[in-house]
Amino acid sequence: MKKVKIITFILMVILVIMIAFFGIYTNVQNRMENQVKDYSYAMDLKGSRNIRLSVSEEKKTIIKDSEGKEVEDSENLTDEEITEKGYTKEEVAYNSDEVKNKDNYINTKKILSKRLEKLGVNNYIIKLDEENGDIIIELSENENTDAILSNLVTVGKFEIVDSQTQEVLMDNSDIKLSNVMYGANNTGTTAGTMVYLNIEFTQEGSKKLEDISTKYVKVDNESTDNQSSENENQADTNEKENTTSDQTEETENKEETKQIIMKIDDEEIMTTDFEEPIKTGKLQLSVGQAATDAETVQGNVKKASAMATVLDTGNLPLKYEIEGNEYIMSDIADGQIQIIEYIILSIVALALIILIIRYKTLGIIGMFSYVGLMSLFLLVIRYANVVISLEGIIAIIIVLILNYIFVNKLLSKINKQESKDIKEANKETYKEFFIRIIPICITVITFCFVNWVPISSFGMIMFWGIALIALYNYIITKNILKIKAEK
Amino acid sequence: MKNLTSKQKILIVLLAIIIISGIIVTVTIGLKFDLKYEKSQKIELNLKKEFEISDIKTITDEVLKGQDVIIQKVELYEDMVSIISNQITEEQKNNIVQKVNEKYGTQIKAENTTILSIPHTRGRDIIKPYIVPFIIAIVITVAYMAIKYYKLNPTKVVCKTIIINIIAQLVLLSIIAIARIPIGRLTIPLVLITYILTLIGLTSQYEKKQIEIKKEENKKK
Repeated sequence: MKKVKIITFILMVILVIMIAFFGIYTNVQNRMENQVKDYSYAMDLKGSRNIRLSVSEEKKTIIKDSEGKEVEDSENLTDEEITEKGYTKEEVAYNSDEVKNKDNYINTKKILSKRLEKLGVNNYIIKLDEENGDIIIELSENENTDAILSNLVTVGKFEIVDSQTQEVLMDNSDIKLSNVMYGANNTGTTAGTMVYLNIEFTQEGSKKLEDISTKYVKVDNESTDNQSSENENQADTNEKENTTSDQTEETENKEETKQIIMKIDDEEIMTTDFEEPIKTGKLQLSVGQAATDAETVQGNVKKASAMATVLDTGNLPLKYEIEGNEYIMSDIADGQIQIIEYIILSIVALALIILIIRYKTLGIIGMFSYVGLMSLFLLVIRYANVVISLEGIIAIIIVLILNYIFVNKLLSKINKQESKDIKEANKETYKEFFIRIIPICITVITFCFVNWVPISSFGMIMFWGIALIALYNYIITKNILKIKAEK
Repeated sequence: MKNLTSKQKILIVLLAIIIISGIIVTVTIGLKFDLKYEKSQKIELNLKKEFEISDIKTITDEVLKGQDVIIQKVELYEDMVSIISNQITEEQKNNIVQKVNEKYGTQIKAENTTILSIPHTRGRDIIKPYIVPFIIAIVITVAYMAIKYYKLNPTKVVCKTIIINIIAQLVLLSIIAIARIPIGRLTIPLVLITYILTLIGLTSQYEKKQIEIKKEENKKK
């Protein structure tokens, strides 16, 4: 029975070692493919998306009146009308020379950093050339990278303007925070989850909003009815989108209905009025339609999150353009990682030889158990979706050292006692070892929750390593030593 | 200093010398940064075919003598190379292009290759993401140690843990400054190793003292 037990343990460990170091190969489309999951590497070991942003030199056409003042709402004016009214067309740079200064460059960098953090980028490098405002961002490559980029350089200029006079009623300075909210929508034809962009205003902004919502209130019943039915699915919101289908009916009442236009980056997001004064200082705007399928809801959440991030982080003082966007491989080549692996393996081999010399048969068992843990550890790292960074490699080395200390301590205790009480030796070793590493465990658990890849990589790898040292040695090492002692 | 052994005194003096020297070097000469974080210049060559980093390295070693160089493959097809160095002059750029053309039979035109400037990364931007996690970890660890080793005087344990951790990190940074080891991707891993070693050392010391106190208490009983 003991023989069967020991053979089972040995075979299990050998199997783990074989899988971890050589893999499991199967025939896929006439070629052998390793079925064991590959390691996930962080951007310092894999590569990163490099984006070069430069201050836009783009020009825009503005129309000025005879007094030299910029004419608002001039998009629809024809050349004839311009001449007739005595207006003049002028080409001006989007970023004037006055705004191209060091303070604005630094401010832009700060806002971009905030946006990256809000968009959940967990590893990035941002560099600023304070002389010309060029910004270089290196961020990890994944399925969200392109979406992140598209939101990154949005200026984020928020404005609520009077639809008739184009007077700016509110802007970015009135926003306190912006986030995404969900709600179940059971009214109307489309039931499901509704996603809202929630904008909270500052104290001053709240007062302005209250004034606006009192002033820009719907006065025409007919129009209200039409709009209400149309926006039934947008229950709980204080605004209603004015769709084009009702434009004809509304023209008759245009003079009576005062409306506001909400703009982001000079683009009209919606034209609306209010049913009642908003006293809460919060505005919830529905994003998309109510949906039941996860994909649509997620899509709406992404859109809302992007808008919320842009509004929450403030508007960029300058307009930027993406000048370069490329994926650059890490300068740490696969060969260099392999060299590190070989060095680690050589040191481990040397340490294990020392173990054998010191403890003879016990040393061989210790070595066997050690290699088994190392193999299992490497497999766990792959399947636990842990991202390996340089800090992660250090964590692997620390785990290997800690396990060596543990095995050495255990064998030393058994050797010293010269008794067969493995259980007692094991208990003492566990107590001594884990009491000493509790502070490390605290640090490791803290690091596991950090949303910054190099740190979380260290934390996660150490976490799995310490957990394995505790479990594996209790199940495998202790039992093999027990069987040997009983023999 | 009364209870200190001569070995401990020597160690303290040695650590003080290292830290003071480190501070002097940092203040006067400044820290050395890895090329990845330094202000640098870059050229990109589209070879449109596979190439070996080692070949490009030979060329850059020849042209950019004595300068640090980072060579990276660009895009998924890996047929483009990015060469970063502290400074790349027009002449050096032309030489690199010419040598690459000779080596790979490509027809890259030097006039179409632009030298791009890469700004430096600020030191505080590198360490910023690590500050809060480290502070949280240290605060919890210190609190744990104060509770676990209350017999050793909690205030003393708290102060000692914090001070020794600070000294350990200062010694590491001083060595980095004095030895002119570039601040780069290996700096944080080194900080982590130092931190873990410090924790192990402190815990072992506290454990030993706690056991001694327990033994004395047992003797008295």
